[in-house]
Amino acid sequence: MTDIATQLAATAYQRVIRKRVVVLAALALTSLVAFALDLGSGPSSLGLFDVIGGIFDGNALSSAQRAILWEVRLPQALLAVLVGLALATAGAEMQTILGNPLASPFTLGVSSAASFGAALAIVLGIGIPGVPQNWIISANAFVFSFIAVIVLQSVVRMRGSGTDILVLCGIALFFTFNALVALTQFLASQQALQQLVFWIMGSLSRASWEKVRLLALVVVIALPFAQRAAWPMMALRLGEDRARSLGINIVMLRFMSLLRISILTATAMAFVGTIGFVGLAGPHIARLLIGEDHRFFLPASALTGAIIMSLASVASKSIIPGVLIPIGIVTALIGLPVFFSLIFSRRGLP
Amino acid sequence: MTSMTRRFTISAIAACVLGTCLAVAPAVAEPVTVTDITGRAVTLPQPATRILLAEGRQFPGLSLLHPDPVSLLSGWLGDFRRNDSETYAAYRQKFPAIDDIPVLGMGNDGSFSVEKAISIKPDVAVLGTSFAPGGRSSDVARQLEAAGIPVVFTDFFINPFDNTVPSMRILGRVIGRDKQAEDYVAFYEAHMKRVADRVAASREKRPSILVETHATPSDCCHSLGAANVGRFIAFAGGDSISAEVSKGPSAQLGLEYIIAKNPDIYVGTGGAHLKATGGLLIGPGFDAKTIQASLAAVVARPGFSELRAVREKHVHGLFHNMLSTPLNLLAVEAMARWLHPQAMTDVDPNATMAEINARFLAVPMSGIYWVDLK
Repeated sequence: MTDIATQLAATAYQRVIRKRVVVLAALALTSLVAFALDLGSGPSSLGLFDVIGGIFDGNALSSAQRAILWEVRLPQALLAVLVGLALATAGAEMQTILGNPLASPFTLGVSSAASFGAALAIVLGIGIPGVPQNWIISANAFVFSFIAVIVLQSVVRMRGSGTDILVLCGIALFFTFNALVALTQFLASQQALQQLVFWIMGSLSRASWEKVRLLALVVVIALPFAQRAAWPMMALRLGEDRARSLGINIVMLRFMSLLRISILTATAMAFVGTIGFVGLAGPHIARLLIGEDHRFFLPASALTGAIIMSLASVASKSIIPGVLIPIGIVTALIGLPVFFSLIFSRRGLP
Repeated sequence: MTSMTRRFTISAIAACVLGTCLAVAPAVAEPVTVTDITGRAVTLPQPATRILLAEGRQFPGLSLLHPDPVSLLSGWLGDFRRNDSETYAAYRQKFPAIDDIPVLGMGNDGSFSVEKAISIKPDVAVLGTSFAPGGRSSDVARQLEAAGIPVVFTDFFINPFDNTVPSMRILGRVIGRDKQAEDYVAFYEAHMKRVADRVAASREKRPSILVETHATPSDCCHSLGAANVGRFIAFAGGDSISAEVSKGPSAQLGLEYIIAKNPDIYVGTGGAHLKATGGLLIGPGFDAKTIQASLAAVVARPGFSELRAVREKHVHGLFHNMLSTPLNLLAVEAMARWLHPQAMTDVDPNATMAEINARFLAVPMSGIYWVDLK
């Protein structure tokens, strides 16, 4: 009897796992399609087949087309994917370690801190000495978002591992940095204000190969570590006591996770500006599709983030061909309907 | 001197004094009525000697009309000093009192302190159209008027193409210097007409042009749209590639669109405000070497080397702050020369600037306001 029950359970489990693998594979395929769509779209006549041909045979394209492919489309499309991977992974980890569905780099002040760093550079010209001038905004954004996460981490250390305090502190950071950004906006000249507002709305127009390489490096290092922490994270979802009884060092787990979150978010934000929706909704969409199992949930979140960003990139350059609509606006506008439809379609299910 | 002679002298002096008073008094006391840029008729008991300037950037307008424009200001916003620190420094050198003018707010209309404005009791408040009914800060005008301060709207910023000339006339009327205003308007219109005539007569094709505002290597590419300031581009004989896709005042163009459109001419605008972020440095206070280096950095961005304008060295820099002042005709002339070098042989912005300096401006412009990439 027991054997049969065990066998049934094992079969059911295998079925669940198989289903999750299928969903994950579907997400991976969708993200590839979205990336291809992004690569193949733009205000010039360069289509997807030209792009693919151009990648393998440089002589197939005119020099202007080569410039469009190598200096515009590829870096922007790759940066979109990487930013999606980074922000959604950071959001997923944050929601788990804080046990709070509203947690994301945006809602807990990390993005506001990045904006403040950028604002200091744009409005007041304050930057880190020695940083080249055209990196000064990115460098400031990076440093300030990093500071925000360090503050969150020190709260964890000071007050033990209470997540409520951490969330409250994050919200306080959000308001503090928002107020500081508003103050710099108030002080800003009309010209600087325009620059700052555009920075805050997020844009892929700042893409370059250097930025792609740097963010790729960060993603390639951070994501496997996040994946390796999937089991203890799952244990944490069962409750802190249970996780502790399984021998997990919760303080360390949280610290390492916040470190990954800070580096992923800070680097992504530094390069493209503030993009709020992906870090919050990416993980939720993934959770609705695949469940809480972190081995699948993390990669699913990352892929969902990449899909959202690629599709947003397509939309941002296609709504008015020639004009770039800031991608931070687009992610929310195209992501929200998907998000709502998923929430409401799940409501009736058991 | 006999007593009679003395009496005669005294009465002659008295008559002279009285006569002078009679001659001057009506001019001082006479009310002036001005129709402002929004079409409102405003009557001042006499020409204003204490003006509240709610957009510091309108200051060059006063400087074209009055030998001591600083003496006219009873208060202003801090934007002129902030946006154009080098020009401000030049004014300070001639008029140290400029530092003592009360500052009513920082860089934008949202920071305007109405209470302070009322407390300094100006003869008139000259406001930009963002303060006009329907504008972002329209409450300010209502509050000032409630406090008995007449309000006059002018505009060199939102629609300088249409509003520069009437705004100069309004400023002239407000301070009782209509003649100087008419002189400048005549000068302005003659120069604009010459450009328009040369463009109309030109057989050259209209080149395509990208005017990138606040050009900086770290982002791409904010540009003037078809409306407002963008109309100067069409007037100067160019087809702006951004006007095709943006009917409004400005837009952020994608680099791919720019490469695909492949403009004949590139013009970046900049100034001291881009110092912090490594953008195009041009205008008063910067030497030729600095300007050339920053302009070269702007067009060294990835993808720009593909543009015809860059390959064929039709790359230019323009001082941004000129666009929203009555000095915008200099920008028009500079652009017209870049767009139609053959047709514009007698159009010389340097000569125009020299004439403006000699005839009008209280503090002459000095520095490099437009440049070709060498």
